Amino acid sequence: MNIASSTEQICFLILGSVVILGALGVVLLKNIVYSAFLLGGVFMGVAGLYLLLNASFVAAAQVLVYVGAVNVLILFAIMLVNKKEELKQIKGLRTRKVLSGLVCTGLLFLLLRVDLTTNWNLPGPSAIGELSTERIGEHLFTDYLLPFEVASVLLLMAMIGAIVLARRDVLNTDIATGDSVDQNLIEKSNDPILLEQSSN
Amino acid sequence: MNTGLDLELSFNNLLQGFGISSEISHILWLPLPMLLVLSSALIGVLVTVWLERKVSAAAQQRIGPEYAGALGVLQPMADGLKLLVKEDVIPAKADGLLFTLGPILVLIPVILSWLIVPFGQNLLISNVGIGIFLWIALSSIQPIGLLMSGYASNNKYSLLGGLRAAAQSISYEIPLALSVLAVVMMSNSLSTIDIVNQQNSFGFLSWNIWRQPVGFVIFWICALAECERLPFDLPEAEEELVAGYQTEYAGMKFALFYLGSYINLVLSALLVSVLYLGGWGFPFPVEWIANLLGQNVDTPLVQVFTGSIGIVMTIIKTYLLVFLAILLRWTTPRVRIDQLLDLGWKFLLPISLVNLLFTAALKLAFPIAFGG
Amino acid sequence: MTGFFRQVADYTQNAISAGKYLLQGLAVTFDHMGRRPITVQYPYEKLIPSERYRGRIHYEFDKCIACEVCVRVCPINLPVVDWVMNKETKKKELRNYSIDFGVCIFCGNCVEYCPTNCLSMTEEYELASFDRHSLNFDNVALGRLPTSVTTDPSVKPLRELGYLPQGIMDPHEVPNKDPRAGKLPAEVLDWMKQESSKEGEIASISNTKEEVN
Repeated sequence: MNIASSTEQICFLILGSVVILGALGVVLLKNIVYSAFLLGGVFMGVAGLYLLLNASFVAAAQVLVYVGAVNVLILFAIMLVNKKEELKQIKGLRTRKVLSGLVCTGLLFLLLRVDLTTNWNLPGPSAIGELSTERIGEHLFTDYLLPFEVASVLLLMAMIGAIVLARRDVLNTDIATGDSVDQNLIEKSNDPILLEQSSN
Repeated sequence: MNTGLDLELSFNNLLQGFGISSEISHILWLPLPMLLVLSSALIGVLVTVWLERKVSAAAQQRIGPEYAGALGVLQPMADGLKLLVKEDVIPAKADGLLFTLGPILVLIPVILSWLIVPFGQNLLISNVGIGIFLWIALSSIQPIGLLMSGYASNNKYSLLGGLRAAAQSISYEIPLALSVLAVVMMSNSLSTIDIVNQQNSFGFLSWNIWRQPVGFVIFWICALAECERLPFDLPEAEEELVAGYQTEYAGMKFALFYLGSYINLVLSALLVSVLYLGGWGFPFPVEWIANLLGQNVDTPLVQVFTGSIGIVMTIIKTYLLVFLAILLRWTTPRVRIDQLLDLGWKFLLPISLVNLLFTAALKLAFPIAFGG
Repeated sequence: MTGFFRQVADYTQNAISAGKYLLQGLAVTFDHMGRRPITVQYPYEKLIPSERYRGRIHYEFDKCIACEVCVRVCPINLPVVDWVMNKETKKKELRNYSIDFGVCIFCGNCVEYCPTNCLSMTEEYELASFDRHSLNFDNVALGRLPTSVTTDPSVKPLRELGYLPQGIMDPHEVPNKDPRAGKLPAEVLDWMKQESSKEGEIASISNTKEEVN
């Protein structure tokens, strides 16, 4: 065993334990902010695993999308509604826990079975390294064009939906004078897009 | 294309001359560029801090630091030393772990991004294939550190500052990435080396700034916003938020934030010079000058000469941009948060999309001028 | 459709003019960089306080007659005049006099009204101390004369802008002898005297003319 492969193995062990422990922490920790930060750590660990697999573009994309966008958004949402509230007691929590535990172990066994029964040909196809960026681009614009576009349309729909939901058609009026107190600072004068235009 | 100096190869050859195996010489080589880049980043920060103080003073008709060293050049050192020996205060109700982790998470990605900054054909730590994309990905980690320190400080100003920083950072990353994409499209590569090489065929006439003027402006605005420099320094707007997410920090942890923001400024300036101003390229191609003087480009002396000229050119371009940033700091007033988000989403994003589209069209129409 | 294009055109125009104004601002900032620093390097250089500078109050114990005019004209009755009546001589005997400069506003009323001129304004303004009670000056402290900026060997005295020769802005290399722009009060008085005598002549001439008429 030479230096390179032993370093790789050590890195794999560290990254794997980071991912597993982090994921357990995300689920088990009481403090939701800690869970969110640990989730970021798990994403970083997965990016590290991609790097070990010689897929640097995927690793960078993982960091950009999952850590830089998804995780930041989760943190944002948590911190903007940073209320300490007592959660209501859920009826039959214990049976729910047991049920979800059963589903999860079932999934785990399924994955293990797939892992053990599949005939992995070792060593796998040789890594293409730097060329992977081009290869990903080619595939995205030829074989996987339809799923790619469908996913983007789905995201667009989600975005439009979010904007429509979040847009507040409230115009505050001064109680005494009846004038608009909206000073055009943050909320510009909103013309209602949901109600009026549908009746026109 | 000439290969230029290859320090790693000559270092390995030297060590192997002493009878050391190639593997061990490689391991011995590994920490050297890292140390070099770390120290050069730190020196760059010291110079930038000094420059900032001196230029700010000149713009306000003051003198600025004068007594620490000649013309006050040692002032940043004194500042750093002061921060180093200051008491490290963690507020009683703060979250100690996240409070400590925050500044570290802010600093590490910035330093890591120096991996891809080229000072010459072979003068960079690693010519990774994803090049400039690595920087974009790494800079997206920063808001997590900011949110972390904002949350852990247990202070509403800190939390607001952290949230503002994260919002600003993620909304300006998109136009930034799109303007980088336009450059990448022209050079057909994400690697910073290829981006620079593609610009240096006709001296300063072939720099990307002539082909991507809109992209240059967008990139510069976004880089200033990412560095939280004025006019986009809302996260630490002192009139409103005391010092934003840095409010509760003191001593070395504050120094980490300070260091991070200045390293980020130097890095952004470096990347602007790499992406748009021809990186290490001399305004006139070195090959022409060598031919004029009747020298062969491949002789070691000329190689060393061109290498050092490359480093000097990169540094000059970078510090000109840093100077511009400081001038902008004393010229422009701070924007409001709604103006900031307006500018990012309603102005820069559509324009950078149009710029990208336009570049693609030009690339198809004139493949010679805009990369085949 | 034309409305849309007009909007786009207006928007572009606005963006371009914004860029233009930004460049103008940058030019102004850049221009300021070449200008001379206007700061005074304080502990090493000091501006010479102007005539009639209202600094710390100087007090001469021997001149004081304990009339307490200073107390009466003071907006807050600040000076403390500690005297006793000597029954034998039937005269006031002054024991102590003090002014608290932590409270004084340096309005100069006491100096103005002092009948024996035992109070006067100095040019001393460096009154900072670690304890506010040490700002309460008694008659001994009030009697000390401040070190003048011009005689202090460790300080480079600089003239204020109004006291520089005409056309000179930088106080650093101006010789002491150079007169300031305009006239000194004494010169102004001389000039006024001359003027009034001239005017008197003219007036007398015109008077005689009128008499002739």
